[in-house]
Amino acid sequence: MNAVFALYANGDSAERAVNALRSAGVADEAITVISSEPLEHYEFGQMNRGTWIWYIASAGGFAGLAVGAWLTRMTELAWPLPTGNMPIVSWWPNLIIMFELTMLGGILATVATLLASGKLVRRTPRLYDRAVSEGKILVGVENPSCDTRAIEAALRPGATEVKRAS
Amino acid sequence: MTRRWGMAVDLDRCTGCGACVTACHAENNIPTVGSEQAARGRAMHWIRVERYWEGEFPDVKLKFRPVMCQQCDAAPCEPVCPTYASHHTEEGLNAQIYNRCIGTRYCANACPYNVRFFNFFNPRWPKPLNVQLNPDVSVREVGVMEKCTFCVQRISAAEIDAKAEKRELKDGDVKPACVQSCAAKALVFGDLSDPESDVSRLSRSSRGSKLLEEVGTLPKVAYLGREG
Amino acid sequence: MSESTPATGSMVEGLLRPLVRTSWRFYVLVAFLGSLVAAGLGTWAYQMYMGFGLTGINMPVYWAFYVTNFVFWIGISHAGTLISAILRLVNAGWRRPVTRCAEVITVFALMIGAMFPIIHLGRPWLFFWLVPYPSERLIWPNFRSPLVWDFFAISTYLTGSLLFLFLPMIPDFALVRDRSTGVRRRAYGVLALGWRGTTRQWHRLESAMQIMAIAIIPVAVSVHTIVSFDFSMAPVPMWHSTMFGPYFVAGAIFSGIAALIVAMAALRKFLHLEAYLHPVHFQNLGKLLLMMSLLWAYFVFAERLTTWYGNDSAEMNVFYVTQRGSFAPLYWTMVVCNFLLPLTILSIKRLRTIAGCVTAAVSVCIGMWLERFLIIVPSLSHKYLTYTWGHYRPRPVEIMITISTFAAMTLLYTLFAKFVPIISIWELKAGEHHVPAVSPLAAPQRGLRHDPALEETRA
Repeated sequence: MNAVFALYANGDSAERAVNALRSAGVADEAITVISSEPLEHYEFGQMNRGTWIWYIASAGGFAGLAVGAWLTRMTELAWPLPTGNMPIVSWWPNLIIMFELTMLGGILATVATLLASGKLVRRTPRLYDRAVSEGKILVGVENPSCDTRAIEAALRPGATEVKRAS
Repeated sequence: MTRRWGMAVDLDRCTGCGACVTACHAENNIPTVGSEQAARGRAMHWIRVERYWEGEFPDVKLKFRPVMCQQCDAAPCEPVCPTYASHHTEEGLNAQIYNRCIGTRYCANACPYNVRFFNFFNPRWPKPLNVQLNPDVSVREVGVMEKCTFCVQRISAAEIDAKAEKRELKDGDVKPACVQSCAAKALVFGDLSDPESDVSRLSRSSRGSKLLEEVGTLPKVAYLGREG
Repeated sequence: MSESTPATGSMVEGLLRPLVRTSWRFYVLVAFLGSLVAAGLGTWAYQMYMGFGLTGINMPVYWAFYVTNFVFWIGISHAGTLISAILRLVNAGWRRPVTRCAEVITVFALMIGAMFPIIHLGRPWLFFWLVPYPSERLIWPNFRSPLVWDFFAISTYLTGSLLFLFLPMIPDFALVRDRSTGVRRRAYGVLALGWRGTTRQWHRLESAMQIMAIAIIPVAVSVHTIVSFDFSMAPVPMWHSTMFGPYFVAGAIFSGIAALIVAMAALRKFLHLEAYLHPVHFQNLGKLLLMMSLLWAYFVFAERLTTWYGNDSAEMNVFYVTQRGSFAPLYWTMVVCNFLLPLTILSIKRLRTIAGCVTAAVSVCIGMWLERFLIIVPSLSHKYLTYTWGHYRPRPVEIMITISTFAAMTLLYTLFAKFVPIISIWELKAGEHHVPAVSPLAAPQRGLRHDPALEETRA
């Protein structure tokens, strides 16, 4: 992992750095901004916003619904035991099981998507600096394809430190 | 024709002697819980004789009513059991499968007649009382619900005998222990799907009514009211 | 709602102090609570060994203390959902210091409540038969039984609440990881997963939290509705009521808020969180508690008026035994604890201090426990056939196990506050910016290029 990055004391200087990087020709996908809180009121905080998670959660819900419908019907027919004058496949109580499994499906799909798309379970080391926990904002480029000196020059104004990592 | 086992209880004949209770205990290996536990409301009488009285001594009027599992066609105890320990058989009985029971006691709460009983402790029959146990009926362990089965072991035995001898079951071939022991012949048992059986004719009597009919359980025991 | 919190650096220090410094009082408390919990577990083992007859259960009162505790603790677990999920969805800023306290109550109350269906079984070692798995017995659970619905509902809610609690803890775990060394660093590093704080991760986390908040509310409503179905599905006088679903949910939220107020007051005092938990937080929760008290009273009135008007003989027996019979002292205590006392304290502004809110909250906890008991035991002891009426007295095993669950809740909470920051640090910091939600930009989000025209949209 090869990276050039800098630490900033506040969001304004980080914003300036991001724009400078863009002027230097770095694509948005290549810019990494790391902070200890979500900085959505800054423009750079709006990067990487698009997500499929809502659709995946709904799909998980539908999967849960299907499992619930199948499970209740299959088990009630597998060994039909009459109880309380109710039909063998009683859809009223089955609806409750179907509801619970729908919600469970949606919840598990959401969490799985978060872990996967947030790349939360990783083995390879990624760009990070413990100063972020002190409140600093990290702006940098991982595995830079273009000239690292141009990147450093873009990052230097307003930075408390400029570093390289490898 | 599939059988529907039912009972009729003639309240005009019942003397309240309690022979049915004793016979049921003997036939079904029901433990006696002891006086201390009985005082705490844990006696396990699958059939009990309810005793009601009006007036003050010496002008007391007593009524006796034997109550056992009504084997309801729409039994509220059946759908609430999480493990299918309580379910309906093809012959109209409410079966209690001891091996499936995990003791949630929901069925007992749902039963409006309070005819379901719980094994609070492991029953013990110190020698030589163990010799009196009926080998046709299992002994239940702690934590399991039990109730009147209309002596299903006698029903099964009679059906097996009839099949082996290639004949039909006649009305009166099967007598649960309580019916057999009633000296006043107040209890009658038989097949409700046979319109000519004693129990069917008694159920159609003008004195007949069902217990807690308004709750909607469709019980199969007809109580013939007292006259006067 | 603006709250002045100290500057960021000292805020983080203050909120991490319980993780770093431990006084002797902590060890004494843990030892005391731990011994009560151990005593409870031992009592349960004794009950399993000797037989369920050690309890006060009899014919006809087959459910009593254990089921009361079950419903009570599941009710308490509705604290987190209301505060966290609903206030999150309506963007109420004052929720920020409170959410994790509430979510923790939910998770632990659920765990404790979920023990009781096992404790109250006659053969508890077979509880797993409620799980639908292909067994060699070839039989499956009965999906018509409310107890099986309980199993599914509580499992779903527990999974959802655990995740709802855990996800926003990830950035705080990362914070603690960065400030620790050695074993602590590795432990918190594992808990923080691979969290760095990139914009991508923050967006995913916030979207996930939004979805979880939306999903967990119907699950919570369904859980206590299904618990109420344990009663309303049986033809027992004064159980078979169509109102039980909403009545129980309202009661659950009511007792949950009360538990939250008590927990927050204790945390504020013992962890010195006066700078983060202000009187206004308690006043807001106190107003919510007042509203739920009125709602509870409304449900009770509607149910009792309908019963009284209907004049069904079996139901009127239960009605009068609670109103003026043997259960009357408990019943009217419940009315005072749940309605009269909270109404007085919480509607008078001068009395709505932190101490006042805590008094009202403790009163509500007592009243709601009594309410669960009074729903179960009077009805069961007075069913249709008068010959089979009975009564119930709790026995030492039931009392001991009840006490030990309160100790278990306190113990789990204390341990949690020792190892995890009880106030969500990143959410508190994010809340300081007082910025309304950023409206979506007109241009497509992907591949945002530097556009001078967009400079003006920055808040």
